[in-house]
Amino acid sequence: MTARRALGHKFVCLTLAAPPDWESLPGQFINVLCESDVRALAASEGRPLDDSCDLWPRTTGLEIARRWPVVRRPYSVSRIIRERDRLGIEILVRAVGSGSRFIQSRPLGSALNVVGPLGNHFTAPEDDRLCILVGGGCGVAPIFGLADYLVDAGKRCLCFFGASDLSEMAATFRAPPAPTGDRIVPTDLVSEFARIGIRTVVATEDGGAGFHGLVTVALRTYLGDARTGRFGGLRAGEPLALYGCGPTPMLEVLSEMAIERRVPCQLSLERFMGCGIGVCLSCAMKRRDAASEKGWTYRLTCRDGPVVEAGEIVWD
Amino acid sequence: MAQNKVDLSVSLGRIAMRNPIVTASGCSGYGEELARFFDLRRLGAIITKSITLEPREGHPPPRLAETRAGMLNAIGLANVGLEAFLAEKLPALAAHGVPVIVNVAGSSREEYVRVAAALDDAPAVAGIELNVSCPNVKEGGMEFGVEAASLAGLVGAVRTKVSRATLIVKLSPNVTDIAVTARAAVEAGADALSLINTLRGLAIDPWRGTPLLTNVTGGLSGPAIKPVALYMVRRVWEEVAGPRGVPILGLGGVQFVEDVLEFLRAGATAVAVGTANFVDPETAPKLVEALGEALERLGCVSPRDLVGALDRPACR
Repeated sequence: MTARRALGHKFVCLTLAAPPDWESLPGQFINVLCESDVRALAASEGRPLDDSCDLWPRTTGLEIARRWPVVRRPYSVSRIIRERDRLGIEILVRAVGSGSRFIQSRPLGSALNVVGPLGNHFTAPEDDRLCILVGGGCGVAPIFGLADYLVDAGKRCLCFFGASDLSEMAATFRAPPAPTGDRIVPTDLVSEFARIGIRTVVATEDGGAGFHGLVTVALRTYLGDARTGRFGGLRAGEPLALYGCGPTPMLEVLSEMAIERRVPCQLSLERFMGCGIGVCLSCAMKRRDAASEKGWTYRLTCRDGPVVEAGEIVWD
Repeated sequence: MAQNKVDLSVSLGRIAMRNPIVTASGCSGYGEELARFFDLRRLGAIITKSITLEPREGHPPPRLAETRAGMLNAIGLANVGLEAFLAEKLPALAAHGVPVIVNVAGSSREEYVRVAAALDDAPAVAGIELNVSCPNVKEGGMEFGVEAASLAGLVGAVRTKVSRATLIVKLSPNVTDIAVTARAAVEAGADALSLINTLRGLAIDPWRGTPLLTNVTGGLSGPAIKPVALYMVRRVWEEVAGPRGVPILGLGGVQFVEDVLEFLRAGATAVAVGTANFVDPETAPKLVEALGEALERLGCVSPRDLVGALDRPACR
């Protein structure tokens, strides 16, 4: 772990030094050992045992899950950072449970035991259609790397970031975006996009910054209403590609919008994973399958995902 | 190197293994998943996910819940079915050059017999492990595993159709006295016993008041069950396996080389790694390496020297 910085009030972005032959594509994830067994941790970090006693579970308050993490925790590779001859990968962490608290509490310079890259990835459109990238909450993590990737491939991108308020947004702003009520005003204040120069529509549910409302409402407003053909901000009939990562209700709405507009839409899904490598079969999700009697089969989020075309998903 | 003096090879029934470390059913997939991480020939053997006559989708998720020092799962015997296993999975696995043990589950005596007979006809199958202890599926064989007379009937029926492959019976810990079912299995013709399967358990979300698994109950695995497993291996070794020379495959919470030594001392001839594969996919090959060093330190020339050895610290 070579760097750590705060993103908003709730997230930290950790930079991990990657091996020189590291190759991952946007949307892929790593599975991080959150080892609470002091022996295994010391072994994985090459440290003597007595340095590790700060890992015993703390029991100050109910909000701390008093569980010992056993299985690894999956994290999207957010961005790949290339600096001279050094390669780093960034992950976004929000301390919500025992695993994420463990990762956040590791001191700079400590080693994280990581398996990856795992899973499939987002793909770029073949033509020069506008790519709209939607991130909700910590779902912005893979969006950063996807934006880098699409811009490097010469694609046009516009981002939509949503959160309940600005402090919950996992991005860095050069200055807080002004409230814009029900108007869509893309901003260039997101520091992470300074290099690639793409703009972002910020949506907050409390209206404190950018669009006042859900990010999906902002997107719907921007795209106009497909039935009346009233397109706001876009040429009528302009081809699009949608990408999304975030809470399930947000992804469901994105998927509806994409299907109703016949727009390709790749969504990154999340399920609790035991192994991340296709063995434990716990991260099953329903995928459309015409060959099956029921019209769907279970596929694994870790192996056949996490990125899935919207039309293939069966929402429960 | 002095290490050359240690010969790790063991036999489980008629299966000649390079070393006593195998990967457990349900924690090894169909082999190809783990082959991404290491050469499967480094294992003593690999045990597949349960195979049933027909393909099974498995239970609706969530299928897995982490518990303190353990894991609860209810996958529901999801598998590709016998036909696809023989046509696709087995040839791919056999090509890795590791002894293959196929775990078999069924809902009736006839189903077990049909699947086992077909596997006995497949030369790539070195062993057949009867899963008579799945706690998660009503028809998962548990009725055979907890009642000695029906277990004897099942093992006897399978035995008549299995003449080539080593027949292993995987015992359930969810019984009053595991020596009773162990004796029934051996007297009905089992070549070896594996124990233990998972312990039936329950995990509850304390605030929502709902079970963490769709199936409500699940099978508990991981470090939490190791002392139970060790006791049961010891009990079966003393009462049944030791006197009759029937080998035991011990499993339950194995993660470190000390765990392997404990299982050998309790009476196991070979040791399986289950949940620890999820924590570190390379656990099993690492254990093989560490076991050689550990045996050398104990002055042993073979893991067989330690089997059942509760009466002395070392071999020399």
